[in-house]
Amino acid sequence: MRALALMVLALAGGAVSAVRGSPEGPWRAALDVAGGELRFGLRLERQGSRLAGQLCNGDKCAPFSSVVQRDDSVVFELSDYAATITARLKGDSLSGAYRNVGNRGPRVIPFRAARGTWPSAPGPERLLGRWDATWIGDFGTSPRVIELRNGTAGLEGTIISNTGDYGHFAGTANGDSFAIAHFDGSYVYLLTGVLDGGGGAPDTLRGIFHAGLRTQTPWMAVRSTGRPHLKAVTENTRADTTGPFRFAFPDLEGRLVTERDARFRGKVVVVDVFGTWCPTCHDAAPELVRLHRKYHDRGLEIVGLAYEVSGDTAVDRRQVRRYREKFDIPFTLLLAGINDTEAAAATLPQLQGFTSFPTTIFLGRDGKVRRIHAGFYGPATGAQHAKQVRAWEAEVERLLTEPGA
Amino acid sequence: MILRHSIAAIVPLVTLAGSLAPQSPPADLARERSDYAQWLATAPNSPLAAVAQQPIGPGIRLGPADADVPLAGVAEHRVAERGGAVMLEGPDGARPLPVGRPVALGEFFLTSAGPPDRRVVTIFGRKRDAKGAEYYRYNRGLVFTGPMAPPERPAKVRVLALDGVETEALEAGTVSVPISGKIARLRVRRIPTGVEDESELEIYFRDATNGEGTYPAGRFVPLLPLPDGRYRLDFNRARNPFCAYSSAFPCPAPWRGNTVEAKVEAGERYLGGGLRAPPAGLNPR
Repeated sequence: MRALALMVLALAGGAVSAVRGSPEGPWRAALDVAGGELRFGLRLERQGSRLAGQLCNGDKCAPFSSVVQRDDSVVFELSDYAATITARLKGDSLSGAYRNVGNRGPRVIPFRAARGTWPSAPGPERLLGRWDATWIGDFGTSPRVIELRNGTAGLEGTIISNTGDYGHFAGTANGDSFAIAHFDGSYVYLLTGVLDGGGGAPDTLRGIFHAGLRTQTPWMAVRSTGRPHLKAVTENTRADTTGPFRFAFPDLEGRLVTERDARFRGKVVVVDVFGTWCPTCHDAAPELVRLHRKYHDRGLEIVGLAYEVSGDTAVDRRQVRRYREKFDIPFTLLLAGINDTEAAAATLPQLQGFTSFPTTIFLGRDGKVRRIHAGFYGPATGAQHAKQVRAWEAEVERLLTEPGA
Repeated sequence: MILRHSIAAIVPLVTLAGSLAPQSPPADLARERSDYAQWLATAPNSPLAAVAQQPIGPGIRLGPADADVPLAGVAEHRVAERGGAVMLEGPDGARPLPVGRPVALGEFFLTSAGPPDRRVVTIFGRKRDAKGAEYYRYNRGLVFTGPMAPPERPAKVRVLALDGVETEALEAGTVSVPISGKIARLRVRRIPTGVEDESELEIYFRDATNGEGTYPAGRFVPLLPLPDGRYRLDFNRARNPFCAYSSAFPCPAPWRGNTVEAKVEAGERYLGGGLRAPPAGLNPR
């Protein structure tokens, strides 16, 4: 079964013409994890005197915080996750390593790239759809759901566990085999599999899930019957609902903002507890922006409470500003980690209850907590995401029609 | 069970005779060592800079002289686990301590680690011992490739990982290694790295060099999965537990039975300065 990881997909897509010695243009990149090749894309362009770059899984791209070239060395920085890719540029190839800080030593994975884009290959109909998967660990098994579909950039999909999804995966199929990957600067995931079917037996998928440099977990999956395969997410409903939800934190310009601010008065408010260091929060941001666009005129306000890690207000502010630009966020973002002197003890009264980043808190027009949602199903989860979006919209619609406080 | 008595021998990659010639490590190991040396020298959470490591429990106080962890020049702060999130709270506000991400506090850095409800915080200072890591000359004769036999009894077991953090590990199996004419049977455990879904197959072993060139309590060596389903055990990758660098870290107790009688003169050496071996009579897990 592990031999699957050796599956080599034919390379196509020739080198593109490029300015010699400059890394501008598209690159087909890979991390060499043990027993597999995790593919992703890079897109580099010159903006004035600076280089700008994007890290892509299929056609889903996110910007690097910086790309700096010095002679033949190129450093890609992902400041949200304290991660870098450092590489040497030699002709039409880049080689080096992805790094971030580990607890027991550096987390280093070999990186390489060549000019061009990975070939896009859609999967055959028989691979597509929803699969009830079982991860087969050294001791015991655990359930996952795998979703496979064809997107504009070939085969794509995601993996869902009891606690959330693994983000957007992209890759290729080759006959009944496939390999899809997700790399965002923090999570390093590669899913390889092959269809084992025919002869009247029900279709079965088998493969290896690679996490990081050398964790390999065998898995198998059967077509979803529609019966629940994962445990239902239990929503955290522990909250103080006797009084309004209170907060008092500075915005990115340093002005103190509280729940008593005129912009929130009599409004339905969605509070997004997030951090720029949290990949799932990055997944949730576009959905909150969409909610705001759709319902703002009818009385919805959203406020993002950023819990940052640097402890340096200037650094935190820069990180959160970059996050605001990245997602084009039109609503208020506050530096929640920072107490303003005027608002001593301004930690969230409901802080005790929250268990994960992101946590989304829905407040009625009276300012009291109506619903708390821990975690987020990203857009890659398809049906789960759609269900959650519908539930959030229904909640907002319901709260908007409640009589004002 | 037949498997319990069968010895699935893992075989040397090359003959021992090959090890007589001076050898330099292969490129990937050389790179790993240089990355590790740089990490020890510069990472904010390098074990050489560790000041203290404490379970968070119901919460710990940092800062003043009478705090659980006194830190010079740091106002009173509290580290508490709130649901799944570890928060650092002080006069300036609250910040998360995401697992595996060093967070600055004055002149210090903090990291959190360990499973939910049993998280541990480690505090690092700026000052670090100049000594990094030193290794025996690369020995090609101590690289083995072969199968892993299933564990006698599949079980979860609480062990201290390399960094002194209590972790829920899984009994992954055993490997049998022919060294100096004897077969050493070593248990392998799968230990989470702290990054979601990532783990390493690790062997914590003792050998005849312990206390005489290597750390007295033993060393960790990873078992590397190969694409063909077999595994590689390369003793040149043996590493010290962090208690060998600083007495801030608790030292993992040796794993019962995981002893190689011969000298394993490969991998990391002990340069002194760490916690001495676990007290005699400590019951190995």
